[in-house]
Amino acid sequence: MSEKIIEFENVTFAYETEEEDAPVQFPALTDVSLTINKGEFVAVLGHNGSGKSTLAKLCNAILEPTKGKVTVKGIVPDTEEKADEVRRIVGMVFQNPDNQIVATIVEDDVAFGPENLGIEPAQIRKRVDDALKSVNMYEFRHREPHKLSGGQKQRVAIAGVIAMQTECIVLDEPTAMLDPKGREEVMQTVKRLNKEMGITVVLVTHFMDEAVQADRVVVVDGGRIVMNGKPREIFSNVEKLRSFGLDVPQSTELCHVLGIKEGVLDVDECVDEIARLAGGAL
Amino acid sequence: MSYTIETIGLTHYYSKGTVQQVAAINDVNLKIEKGELVGIIGHTGSGKSTLISHFNGLLKPDSGKVLVDGVDIWKDKETLKKSRFKVGLCFQYPEYQLFEETVYKDIAFGPKNMKLSEAEIKERVMRAAAFTGVKAEHLGKSPFDLSGGEKRRVAIAGVMSMEPEVLIFDEPAAGLDPRGRNALINLIKDYRKQTGSTVIIVSHSMEDIAEMADRVIVMNNSSVAMQGSVDEVYSRGDELRAMGLNVPEITEIFAKLRAKGLDVPQNVYTVEQGAAILRKLLERGSAK
Repeated sequence: MSEKIIEFENVTFAYETEEEDAPVQFPALTDVSLTINKGEFVAVLGHNGSGKSTLAKLCNAILEPTKGKVTVKGIVPDTEEKADEVRRIVGMVFQNPDNQIVATIVEDDVAFGPENLGIEPAQIRKRVDDALKSVNMYEFRHREPHKLSGGQKQRVAIAGVIAMQTECIVLDEPTAMLDPKGREEVMQTVKRLNKEMGITVVLVTHFMDEAVQADRVVVVDGGRIVMNGKPREIFSNVEKLRSFGLDVPQSTELCHVLGIKEGVLDVDECVDEIARLAGGAL
Repeated sequence: MSYTIETIGLTHYYSKGTVQQVAAINDVNLKIEKGELVGIIGHTGSGKSTLISHFNGLLKPDSGKVLVDGVDIWKDKETLKKSRFKVGLCFQYPEYQLFEETVYKDIAFGPKNMKLSEAEIKERVMRAAAFTGVKAEHLGKSPFDLSGGEKRRVAIAGVMSMEPEVLIFDEPAAGLDPRGRNALINLIKDYRKQTGSTVIIVSHSMEDIAEMADRVIVMNNSSVAMQGSVDEVYSRGDELRAMGLNVPEITEIFAKLRAKGLDVPQNVYTVEQGAAILRKLLERGSAK
């Protein structure tokens, strides 16, 4: 039995807006139950407005459920102190790298979190160096963040989370603004942190080729979890995913439209399958 | 014959006159014909955005020229002003630039600046709104009350209402979900079909460019590294990868099938195209 790190129990979250005096509630998530286990890499998919970012923000107490309960390592963040505790366990990385960098030197930016925790300087130094090494940005430690590429900035943001020694990282569309190389750098980093350091990863994304690399895929639609399973199971349902406004990787789609195999996840699987069937044509 | 847009030796420096001076674009020579749909690709920092900011005079060249319909846009003030109406630029995440009280006013902002009559402005706003799928009942609302996807449509309508000869999109699909992305690609294709306008799209997505563009320009290290048809450019996968780009997944699949000795073409850029080829191949295989 794996150890739970984040648990959603019947969570409902509604945004409230003031309209004509009476407050109107817009439910973003409705009755969501979900468990994230320690060491897992979970991808969260859903179209714009499906509720997936709300789900991400509930993971580290940026938002508080309207109904139900979110528990992080046994802690329910119902006071400011407990919310701080949860944020030390679960760190968050957002879409726009330019909005989350605070300092003018890379290493100062990474040190910002630990400094706020009141950790002693020698310890901070070590954490910052280790964090920058773990995202392959150590050689850039004296650079100015605004002169880095998008992928490099996102890796600095991830280092900032690692330096807090968080056990779980929630990334909300971290590659949306990056070029192919930047996307690749961030994905490699995220996977390495998960595999080598055992950090739990929750990745909210629109890119299906990123989701296939996860251990588990959760699909959110209309504020509810509508699919939850291993990538191969999820991507075997091409039509169902499309009905949620989502897509599948081109490798998956090709094998699907040819009617040769469902749930193919990447280029190599696709090539092997076609080559096997085309054996007669060689 | 003059081109819709032509650049001659176009060069722009950042931090000019300081020790940190770097060329953002260096000696760029391009010709874009009327009615073309041109894709510009390149990694972050390759000079794409700097390049397109010159097309309507948002940036002034440090050397070289930008000609619109054969006329140097920096010739005089009047020409510069005119070329800003001729060449419409839709920035990345344009929804963050909405600012008016109502959706109507936001879409009308451009035409108003063009000093058109009220009747003409209204007609254009309605046309652009209908085209981009902005709902009539939203026109009187504040743009800030709309969803992200709706806001983006309003922002695009705001550029289309100027009815420019050339419409430039910087990363139009960034941040959209797959459904939003497909809708936007179709919108751009339809716009071009209906108006015959020249369209320029800057994107990181090799798939999107393959689906839309007649011609591709690849920027690397502040210069034009390649230009040609989708076929000509995408067949140079190794060079593209070395520039921090990639090829569509489907293109990679076909490259690997060829490497395995299968007799398939290498110029495959969409799943539709690939599926048609493989269907034939697999039928032939099973007939043996």
